[in-house]
Amino acid sequence: MRRVCLVSYDISDPRRWRQVYRTMRGFGEHLQLSVFSCDLTPAQRVTMIAALEEAIDRDDDQVLLIDLGPSQAQPIQQIEALGRPLSVRDRSPVVL
Amino acid sequence: MLNEFAYCPRLGYLEWVQGEFADNDDTVEGRYHHRNVDRTQQRARPRGEGNDNEVPKIHERSVWLGAESLGLSTKIDLLEGEGRRVTPVDYKRGKRPHVPQGAYEPELVQLCAQGLLLRDHGYECDEGVLFFVGSRERVRVVFDDELVARTVQLAAGMRAVAAAGPIPPPLVDSPKCPRCSLVGICLPDELRYLTVGEGAAAPPRPLVPARDDALPLHVQHPGARIRKDGEVLQIVDDDKVIGEARLAETSQVVLFGAVHVTTPVVQELCQRGIPVCYLSSGGWFYGITHGMSHKNVELRRRQYAVAGDPARCLALARRFVQAKIANCRTLLRRNHPSPAEDLLSDLKGDIRRAGQADRLDVLLGVEGTAARRHFSAFAEMLHPDESEAATFDLESRNRRPPRDPVNALLSLAYAMLTREWTVVLFSVGFDPYLGFYHQPRYGRPALALDLMEEYRPLIADSLVLTVVNNGELRSEHFARAPGAVSLTAAGRRKFIEAYERRMSQEVTHPVFGYRISYRRVLEVQARLLARHLSDEISEYPSFTTR
Repeated sequence: MRRVCLVSYDISDPRRWRQVYRTMRGFGEHLQLSVFSCDLTPAQRVTMIAALEEAIDRDDDQVLLIDLGPSQAQPIQQIEALGRPLSVRDRSPVVL
Repeated sequence: MLNEFAYCPRLGYLEWVQGEFADNDDTVEGRYHHRNVDRTQQRARPRGEGNDNEVPKIHERSVWLGAESLGLSTKIDLLEGEGRRVTPVDYKRGKRPHVPQGAYEPELVQLCAQGLLLRDHGYECDEGVLFFVGSRERVRVVFDDELVARTVQLAAGMRAVAAAGPIPPPLVDSPKCPRCSLVGICLPDELRYLTVGEGAAAPPRPLVPARDDALPLHVQHPGARIRKDGEVLQIVDDDKVIGEARLAETSQVVLFGAVHVTTPVVQELCQRGIPVCYLSSGGWFYGITHGMSHKNVELRRRQYAVAGDPARCLALARRFVQAKIANCRTLLRRNHPSPAEDLLSDLKGDIRRAGQADRLDVLLGVEGTAARRHFSAFAEMLHPDESEAATFDLESRNRRPPRDPVNALLSLAYAMLTREWTVVLFSVGFDPYLGFYHQPRYGRPALALDLMEEYRPLIADSLVLTVVNNGELRSEHFARAPGAVSLTAAGRRKFIEAYERRMSQEVTHPVFGYRISYRRVLEVQARLLARHLSDEISEYPSFTTR
């Protein structure tokens, strides 16, 4: 069962910040600076957490995982955006 | 291994004899909780021979032990103790189960086997500890005579089954199955439903996931390059990123024509078990790159044995052809504005004749006749816009090269279906080049061609009807050369997108009654064929729609 998870991070070192950004791109959509929206199975969530724990410094950095609920309910649609519109693409096969 | 065998003998066999493995949420989480104990690999130190005042303390992670006399080997997550007295500690994900023995049998037996090995190596070991990470609780397990006897018995049982076969039957309606990671490979309910006969057993629980977590990546942009950036595949054209795909969400990479991939990409894809398919720009299948091939040798042996038996080949071939004609007939009935009665009854006759064919060439003749009948009515199922009507004029099926747009679409659709089946067959552990109906010819994935027969009308033909009838593809999407018609890059892209939409569509499985996407149907059917080849089910259940 997939759930949507909002991930935001505060990383104090630019090297690790870059690393966390690269990791997160594999799991979700870059919404804002240091904010990703991820549509994950429980297994992918664990894999993501493991990868993040590798990358961050437990004393100085912080990552927040905000669970928005099951993907079927399309919780991203509930987010109100002021200014630029919020666009998150659906999971679909990539054809280029 | 003992753990799996105690959980379900069939699981033990699948994982340890056939080399099958699949991850599910629980196995991934288990690996995560094991990351600390797995990190260091050390050997158990020889038992303490220091002086009496100083008893050496033991605290070791990931200790490998084996003993030929017991016929066992193990990796102990954590070994604790002092001097000669040691306690193995095994890490388990989740919470402690509230059962009288403190844990379920598979865990107890696994721990006891570790204890027996430690005893064999000269340590004193009367109890072990299970550490449940979810609730951070330690559960003591005493190795009493009863547990030891059970462990020895199970180890002997596993060895006997591994040596002699056959594969143990699946558990019956077991609550263990839904959380078993191999449920999609084992197909316990489906097998029981097919063996005891429909009606006698409850319909299978929908244990197989209905959709995929990962989806294909197609690149047909001429001159594009694929490179890896962290966890993402980037598709670049002239140093401009034109698209991205997350590795974790990619099931296969399909390259049309001159598309470049870097070696790091190929290595990463091989490691993750994601195949790369190379096709000509027109969709002709050149080849496939995948990681080290599948370990299930037993399945390939069965496949070769059955392919060498003309009677069984014929029986399978009849079913493929019958299902194909039946699906063609359904397609006609659904899409033709006024299907001719004698055409439908002729097709029905073809199904009967295919069932009675006593030689492969007779069957081939029946199939050819039916195909001619099907394509003679194909044009009448097409109803494009007035302005487009001339584009999709069709007389008969022709190919190499296709001479009109409809034939060009059909050829491309069949090529994509062949590729899809080849990938599925590789991933299930078959040799796609050895078929039962199509005879081997160099470079032709004969088994893929066999299995795709019944899906030609279901997926390919109906897809062509859809894209033409709803105006998705129009005359500007085709490039014409004298005597040949092909799709333009934009047209091909639209068609591939439509194809992938079709594959994502959920259908009701005609035998099992649950809803499942076409992409998953192919995998389930391939696994059922494997079960048929190993004589677990007497007939291959073909896929026909109503």
